[in-house]
Amino acid sequence: MQILIQLFHILVFPGLLFDVAMGVLLMGLNNKLVARMQNRVGPPILQPWYDFLKCCGKETIIPARAKRAVFLGSPYLGFVLLISVSMFIPFAGFIPVTMGSDLVVILYLLTFVSVCEILGAASSGSPFAGVGLSREMVAMISYELPFVLVILTVARAVGADQPSGAVFSLEGILAYQEMNGPLLFSPAAIPAAIAMLFVIPCETGMHPFDIAEAETEICEGMLAEYSGTPLAMYRLTHMVKVYTMSSLFVAMFLGNRFTGIVPVDILIGILLCIAVMFISAALPHAVCARLKVEQVFHFYWTVVTGFALAGLLLVWAGV
Amino acid sequence: MFQKWIDKSMRKSPWIYHINAGSCNGCDIELVSVLTPRYDAERFGFHLTGTPRQADIVVVSGPITMQSVDRLIRTLAQVPEPKCVVSLGSCPRSGNVFKGSFAIAGPLEKYTHVDVSVGGCTPKPEAIVAGLAKAAEILEEKRREMRKHGGMAPSPAVAAAVEHEERAEFGTGDATAVRQGAEQEADA
Repeated sequence: MQILIQLFHILVFPGLLFDVAMGVLLMGLNNKLVARMQNRVGPPILQPWYDFLKCCGKETIIPARAKRAVFLGSPYLGFVLLISVSMFIPFAGFIPVTMGSDLVVILYLLTFVSVCEILGAASSGSPFAGVGLSREMVAMISYELPFVLVILTVARAVGADQPSGAVFSLEGILAYQEMNGPLLFSPAAIPAAIAMLFVIPCETGMHPFDIAEAETEICEGMLAEYSGTPLAMYRLTHMVKVYTMSSLFVAMFLGNRFTGIVPVDILIGILLCIAVMFISAALPHAVCARLKVEQVFHFYWTVVTGFALAGLLLVWAGV
Repeated sequence: MFQKWIDKSMRKSPWIYHINAGSCNGCDIELVSVLTPRYDAERFGFHLTGTPRQADIVVVSGPITMQSVDRLIRTLAQVPEPKCVVSLGSCPRSGNVFKGSFAIAGPLEKYTHVDVSVGGCTPKPEAIVAGLAKAAEILEEKRREMRKHGGMAPSPAVAAAVEHEERAEFGTGDATAVRQGAEQEADA
């Protein structure tokens, strides 16, 4: 019975199926909200799901110069890694898997999801994919530094009075927030939250920061040679990543158990994810044109890192 | 059941790849106006991709110049099945005002099967939307045919079936007729 419940958690509720459903919902709402802000009708909310199914139905072409195993394998590996990331992130109080230092594991696995995409692009043998993967590396360098600083800030803010000095376990962070209220309401954590809101769109490759997939400049960049089911897996990975990052934000800064009633908590969690997606992804998409590579790098290493560093110093000073 | 879902979503998410084969840019601008907020083809799921590998509908504009014919054939060969070819404007149909020029290698039918042909110089955005919607329907049909004949690779039987398929045409190059055609399509 214990195993069945565990399997249900991994495959259905906070796990695989729920991740995919939330990814589709968030991506579809993002498209719709951006369209409404641009005075358009916009695609139906299920459009990402239609795109995914359509890509599954297309022929899969493997270029002659591609390394077959890596080219076909890396999209699936990336998706599996991302789903395993979402196992560590609690939703409405459910955590399928937990261990001592969740945040460090999440940081590493999220990097590997991007590395899988880079591997697939590098094995496709297309010069456009080559340009795209070098840009993706620049984007990774840009957002990883503020992301690590934000995680250090949260760990320190929660674990300041602990003997270890920092808590990297999401369960501990949730317990702290249950006792002391959401971290977002303490003034010292606000700069870190702002930095995290900027990390989300770059991590997920959303519009103003999608330098790696600039379809008008470099032919979809890393995905230039992908078609059929592997492309569908990449699309799904991008969708689920939006959900994973926004639920990570909710878990780190807002907590999980709001009322104690499970269905209400789930509903509030979904609404909070949508709100985070709207502020961090849809608004910049509607307002801003795509940035240049060096603009992204410059912006993240000055403004966003500045916010994250300010947050870290405030928390370390014990404000 | 899953296969039927895939068939249905073929029509709902057709991605467009645009090839300019020596066009004067008039049709290209009209195509862009179809995709931008005023006509907003994205509400039907249309999406302009940057690579032929992800395309479902290939839109060709221009009279197929000698310089572009080789690139055109190579690009069309890179598009995965099932795919649709839409000729945009009068140029890929007949050569239009460039007909008889030494630099023209058209019409487009010499090189590929054309599923939908949107006429006009330049076609109205309404006519282009109607033509693209028709192409999306043909895409679903093609996917059904492919599934019936098994496998993902296009068999000769599929090619023959596609060849016999009635070709949809919109507009005649005359602006009023084009608009009427688009309205009829909208009514239907």
